[in-house]
Amino acid sequence: MACFCIDPTALPRRFFLTLACLSAVIRPAISAEVPPQTMAEAISICRELSRASGPDGQADMAAKADQIAELPAEWLAPCLVAFDDATPAGANWLRSGLDRAADRFGDRLPLEELATLVGDATQSPRGRSLAFLWLTGQDRAKADGLLDTLLDDPSLDLRRQAVEKLLASAGGQEQAAHKKTYRRGLAAARDIDQIEQIVGWLAEHGEQVDVAEVLGFVRQWRVSEAFDNAKGIGFEKIYPPQTGELAQPDTSGWKAVASTDKHGAIDLNAALETKKGVLAYAVAIIEMPRAGAAQVRIGSPCAVAVWVNGLPVMAHEIYHASEAIDQYIATTDFSAGTNSVMVKCCQNEQTEPWAVDWKFQLRICDSLGLPLATQLKRAGDE
Amino acid sequence: MNNPNKTSRQIMAACVVAGFVLLCDGANCLSPVWGTGLAEAADASEWPEFRGSFGRGAAEDETIRSHWSETEGIAWKVDLPGKGASSPIVVGDLVVLTASSGAREDQLHILALDKETGRTRWQRTFWATGRTLCHPTSAVAAGTPASDGRRIVALYSSCDLVAVDLEGRLLWQRNLAIEHPRSGNDVGMGSSPRIIDDTVVVQIDCQGDAFASGIDSTTGVDRWSVPRAKIAGWASPLAVTTPNHGACVLLQNSRGLELRQAKSGSLEWSWKGECAGIPVTAESGGIFYVPSDGIAAVASMAKDAPPLWRSTKLSCGIASPLVWGNSIACINRAGVLGIADPRDGQLRGQIRLAGSFWASPILVGNVIVAANKEGKTFLVSVDNEPTIVAENQLPGTFIATPAVADGSLYLRSDSLLWKVAAP
Repeated sequence: MACFCIDPTALPRRFFLTLACLSAVIRPAISAEVPPQTMAEAISICRELSRASGPDGQADMAAKADQIAELPAEWLAPCLVAFDDATPAGANWLRSGLDRAADRFGDRLPLEELATLVGDATQSPRGRSLAFLWLTGQDRAKADGLLDTLLDDPSLDLRRQAVEKLLASAGGQEQAAHKKTYRRGLAAARDIDQIEQIVGWLAEHGEQVDVAEVLGFVRQWRVSEAFDNAKGIGFEKIYPPQTGELAQPDTSGWKAVASTDKHGAIDLNAALETKKGVLAYAVAIIEMPRAGAAQVRIGSPCAVAVWVNGLPVMAHEIYHASEAIDQYIATTDFSAGTNSVMVKCCQNEQTEPWAVDWKFQLRICDSLGLPLATQLKRAGDE
Repeated sequence: MNNPNKTSRQIMAACVVAGFVLLCDGANCLSPVWGTGLAEAADASEWPEFRGSFGRGAAEDETIRSHWSETEGIAWKVDLPGKGASSPIVVGDLVVLTASSGAREDQLHILALDKETGRTRWQRTFWATGRTLCHPTSAVAAGTPASDGRRIVALYSSCDLVAVDLEGRLLWQRNLAIEHPRSGNDVGMGSSPRIIDDTVVVQIDCQGDAFASGIDSTTGVDRWSVPRAKIAGWASPLAVTTPNHGACVLLQNSRGLELRQAKSGSLEWSWKGECAGIPVTAESGGIFYVPSDGIAAVASMAKDAPPLWRSTKLSCGIASPLVWGNSIACINRAGVLGIADPRDGQLRGQIRLAGSFWASPILVGNVIVAANKEGKTFLVSVDNEPTIVAENQLPGTFIATPAVADGSLYLRSDSLLWKVAAP
């Protein structure tokens, strides 16, 4: 084979500059195929993945996920902390790489490190949930053992499983202790189905619980007259209740309506009259224990818009496509003490029997679903 | 490495397009003539998307066993990690399906099983980034995944679209509910994605930000995106190849049809008329068989022309119509299977099945396979008058359309995937 020797001094300087530039460009591409050499490098790549957003440049994300998929087992738990500021897309990129890495080790994952992470409530809920999942796959007893301390956990998934375990533990108890355990579970539970399960059991055993109270629905409202919403024109239209002082709305002359519904619904068909192609406003005054951000959670089969202290919070122009507690959630700032909440609830002109409901339910919660608002009795309340 | 199945499918598609050109007598030829040709070309070892190759729901060259039960004729059954209304697909030696789980149904699964053993080859799980409320009858994993033989794309009710390779490696994702914040439907979305001409087509019909997009199947970047009428809908896109416009996609909502070029999104044809919201239009020989108040036969590319025929005797409930050869079949809301002549809509025969049908019927050989929600799968011979030749019961609730490949039938219940052994 012929050997061509090149005298570097014979080459122009521009050649070496070009080579240097090329190597700078090529290096990241090469390193993208090589697993990280240090844990710090691995965490750095995990954080890059966790910040992914948008459709562009996904081949680069896939290459980074490939690198993470090759990590050694002992680096996986430390890398799970990268979920703490993950974007929605980033969380999935990161998970895709880490799950592949975990798959490589089967039942040889580092249990203690994972358990420590699960027990550290200051870490990302997603990272801890994933650690718990891996742990469960490898050592269910060890994972279950952690749940006793997770009843008040910031991870909804872990909290749910902790409540589930607590309720299961009540099976062998005599009734007074059983009830006590269930009440403890009720205080910890945030998922609606779990709350309903507990309340149902307590009711079966002679203890009635006001579900609307537990879930913190706002139940005292003032309801306006009906306005025109023929052909859906009213959703965007600004009627008088929207033109006044929205932070302190004048509801004199409005009808006081108190919900007696199990789930805190305000039935506008009952409050006004059953109508189609109309809308109404409802205003509630609530008390908040402190200033700051909280979630407005509303459910309605009708189109709804919400204002808090005069500021728009959300608007959903959807008619009769299901309804659920906490169907729409938006975060907004509240003042300490008195706040006003206004709902615009629009009914359309569908004639099907399942399109008759004209109602809403609303509560103010923290990010996990703990009710925060209270209501003082006002003159004229029902 | 090129997947041989993909390559063969590309060749088949090329042959079909070439066939169009040969069959057309000049530039004014507007009638695509395919269906039978594709059926002959379809790879019997695969069922790569909703209702199989090209979405026809027909595997004329296949034969399946006639009798099975929980204890007889089952190759394997597999516990599923969550809920789903999506159909399994068969790609190479994998059976792929989707599911969702968790208290909020926000864990989105895509899993690949070994076709022979049912063993899990890989499973990937993603967090939903959009809404996961859903009617209890349906599921967040309602749309059937699609594969071009190199990658698998899955679309969930949360409007999350993910593409993975055949090893389960995430290639790209689109969080469409973040990009279109008012998209989605709390009854649940149900449209399946299609891969047409290297373009993943998604149809997001809802009362909020409705749209359709064509996405580069390699990069995950939009080739095109168009707004759609703000109407809820659950129909899936349908691949249609026309001689003048090449690979196109048919999009259906309750107000009509749109035919768009798959790669560019350019609108090539539209038709205004009542269409059903769930069952998908079928195409054969350049005619669209549109589920509406009955079935309307609409000549493709005809401008403002009335339907060739309408029949209210032939109507679809939720299940999509099935067209093959010289027959069209529908199952109505009462569970009656009707078979008619697609040339004039004249009913040739009908037979009452039992139960409710969410799954669409498929044709295997000369038998229609109709799986009801209650777990009974009817085999109906269509040689002459429709005749029930077998009824096979499995436990569970079945709303997913069956898949068939290599003589095996795949039936998904609410908790299990059953593989009915080949005869």
